[in-house]
Amino acid sequence: MDAIQEQHLEWSITVLDIVLPKAPRDNVVYEIGDVTNLKSVTAIIDRIKPKVIIHTAGLVPELAGRYGRKLKERVWDINVNGTRNMLSAAKKAGVEAFAAAEALVLSANTPLLSTCSLRPSVLFGPGDYQLIPPIHAMIPKRETNFIIGPGSNLWDVTYAPNIADAHILAVENLLSSSPTAAGEAIFISNEQPITFRDFCLAVWKEFGHIPKWEVHIPVSVANLAGWVAEWVTWVTGTPTTVSRGSVLDAVGTRYCSGEKARRLLGYKPRVGIEEGIRISCNVSTQ
Amino acid sequence: MPTATEVLYYAIHFGELRQIIQWQTWHDPVHNRDPEKEAPSLQICFDFLDKTSRSFSSVIQELHPELLVPVALFYLILRGLDTIEDDMTVSLKEKDPLLRQFYKNTEKEGWNYDGNGPNEKDRELLVQFQNVTEEFRKIKPVYRDIIKDITEKMGNGMADYCANAEHNANGVETIDDYDLYCHYVAGLVGNGLTRLFVESGLANQALLSRPQLQESMGLFLQKTNIIRDIKEDLDDKRRFWPKEIWSKHVDKFEDLFDPKNKEAALNCSSEMVLNSLEHADQCLFYLAGLKEQSVFNFAAIPQSMAIATLELVFRNPNIFKGNVKITKGEACRIMMQSTQNLQLVCEVFRQYTRKIHKKNTPRDPSFLKISIACGKIEQFIESIYPSQDPKKIIEAQGAPPPDPTPASEAEAKNKAMAEEAKWDTIYLLAAVLGTLFTISCLMIGTAWLFGARFDVALDQLSKGKLSKPTGDEAQSIIQKYDHGEL
Repeated sequence: MDAIQEQHLEWSITVLDIVLPKAPRDNVVYEIGDVTNLKSVTAIIDRIKPKVIIHTAGLVPELAGRYGRKLKERVWDINVNGTRNMLSAAKKAGVEAFAAAEALVLSANTPLLSTCSLRPSVLFGPGDYQLIPPIHAMIPKRETNFIIGPGSNLWDVTYAPNIADAHILAVENLLSSSPTAAGEAIFISNEQPITFRDFCLAVWKEFGHIPKWEVHIPVSVANLAGWVAEWVTWVTGTPTTVSRGSVLDAVGTRYCSGEKARRLLGYKPRVGIEEGIRISCNVSTQ
Repeated sequence: MPTATEVLYYAIHFGELRQIIQWQTWHDPVHNRDPEKEAPSLQICFDFLDKTSRSFSSVIQELHPELLVPVALFYLILRGLDTIEDDMTVSLKEKDPLLRQFYKNTEKEGWNYDGNGPNEKDRELLVQFQNVTEEFRKIKPVYRDIIKDITEKMGNGMADYCANAEHNANGVETIDDYDLYCHYVAGLVGNGLTRLFVESGLANQALLSRPQLQESMGLFLQKTNIIRDIKEDLDDKRRFWPKEIWSKHVDKFEDLFDPKNKEAALNCSSEMVLNSLEHADQCLFYLAGLKEQSVFNFAAIPQSMAIATLELVFRNPNIFKGNVKITKGEACRIMMQSTQNLQLVCEVFRQYTRKIHKKNTPRDPSFLKISIACGKIEQFIESIYPSQDPKKIIEAQGAPPPDPTPASEAEAKNKAMAEEAKWDTIYLLAAVLGTLFTISCLMIGTAWLFGARFDVALDQLSKGKLSKPTGDEAQSIIQKYDHGEL
């Protein structure tokens, strides 16, 4: 939103969300609706008749619940059915461009409705509730000394406002006379892969914490612990920090090429990861 | 002859000794020069090469015959220029035109120079420089033009720097000045050598259109040496670390050497290492453009040594106290690995990058930037030599090529991972239980050998007697078992 108002004052914006924000902005119309409900979405979009839809509604459960069983249906409902509903409503209402995430969107690309999908890496930023806070929470839990695996896996984490830039570039591209991004899936990242461990160390440092010693835990041991914890979760129904999925997240190599985003959209991360961490952690402290 | 300390060192570090022996036994030069067919003046030139260069002499002498003499003379000419620049006993008034006009002297028959101070270490080279000019006039004109062009540019750059240093006691001011200085003394060499390589048809022509890569080849070596030699340079009253960097950490340049400021000095050196490290991936990129083995070796060895040196000086307080250098054993291992192919050189780079990454600490203000620079090198190596082959992974999973719908692809992947994790767990449990079983067998077996009565113990337990009987009770129980109910 910041990014749109900063770069395109002439665009009029309507926000569709399930709740009203605590601090509404000027020059923005708010609509309440549920993307999982096709009727309500169609009615709203028919009424507004937008030219462009940036679809960002999505649910990624925070760390503890991500690999639990409870949230699976809800995640599917919002992320898949929600997107399907938005697309179908968009087609009926004659929307010209649609920028969001993945397969359904790409297969909906037609000369009348240009779609493209952005694949951002893990994001963080001011007000993020799922990356910096759990990393911060490890300090009082005294978990910062433990590293799963060798800790040399690279990982590209993106500063959220950079992804906002990418969405605007995508919309501009789709509305232009030669929409080169139409029907394309494009990776968006900060293009500064570092190790997951170093990202954590940098965040902890912002909060004044530097681990005094380090212990490496073999991946197989961590997997066993995750396996046990998953069964405990299954029996008791309470989410735990460890699971085989989160172990995989911690030791996996996760980065991608930014070449396509540069070529098609002219995207370049505006804020580097170091500055991003500083800003995000300052916001979290307040 | 090795010194006593060397003997002691290698008696302990046997692995390194092995590397030295291996290098000396198995290293087979790609090309050998043939001194018998050489003119006396050329032989003198190679003698000077041995005397003036510790690190480059042997790699130059193994170069392809087409480039052997041009590169050797190129080195000697630049060494001559450097000897004039370095000499503080030569006045600026005399030095300035000498440096700027030096390129013209390279072809003059009989030209030499005896104005250097008696303590200048390579003085003799200039005194007998007529041997160099004599040989220089014999090489192909295209090579001569390239070498003269670089000599002229470097001479002018050095003269500018000398004039500036006279006015300015602080040495190098900004990072831009630092880059410019390194460009004159090393970046230009990268450019000249690239032109020689391409002209002789031994390197990919595309290198010519990438001046940034040529520059990085020179700057990576020069900057790494400048970091390593800080103490030596200070003793010679020279300062190359830019003020823009050191002033962030200490008030006066000399404060870097005060043990009180150890932490600040280390942080300052980290920033210098970061500045150098940012050239590393481009050096690997450049090496990919070299076709001929001897040219590859010539270019790759110094780069591998540089990344090893960079790792050695990184967060090493000893650089402020005296000389640090990589051991001979390590050097031999690096040379073995750097005289084969790019993949092995990448391996050397990856190994030292990881060591640097390991030494990196969040206490350091450059922590994240160094982490990003290390990531960039790893990412570059991964891009030219991927550690994963998508085709092989699919084959290994025994699955048909991935379905275009991502849902099923993710599902298949999840399944495969779950399967893998399951077997991991089963193996782990089997290992734990197996170990317990073996230890139990050993203990029970030992007890049995020493006469433990398991039959009695089990029977007593089954009767519900769980506590240990006292000595007398035990004796009477055993009596009963051995002699029946008497």
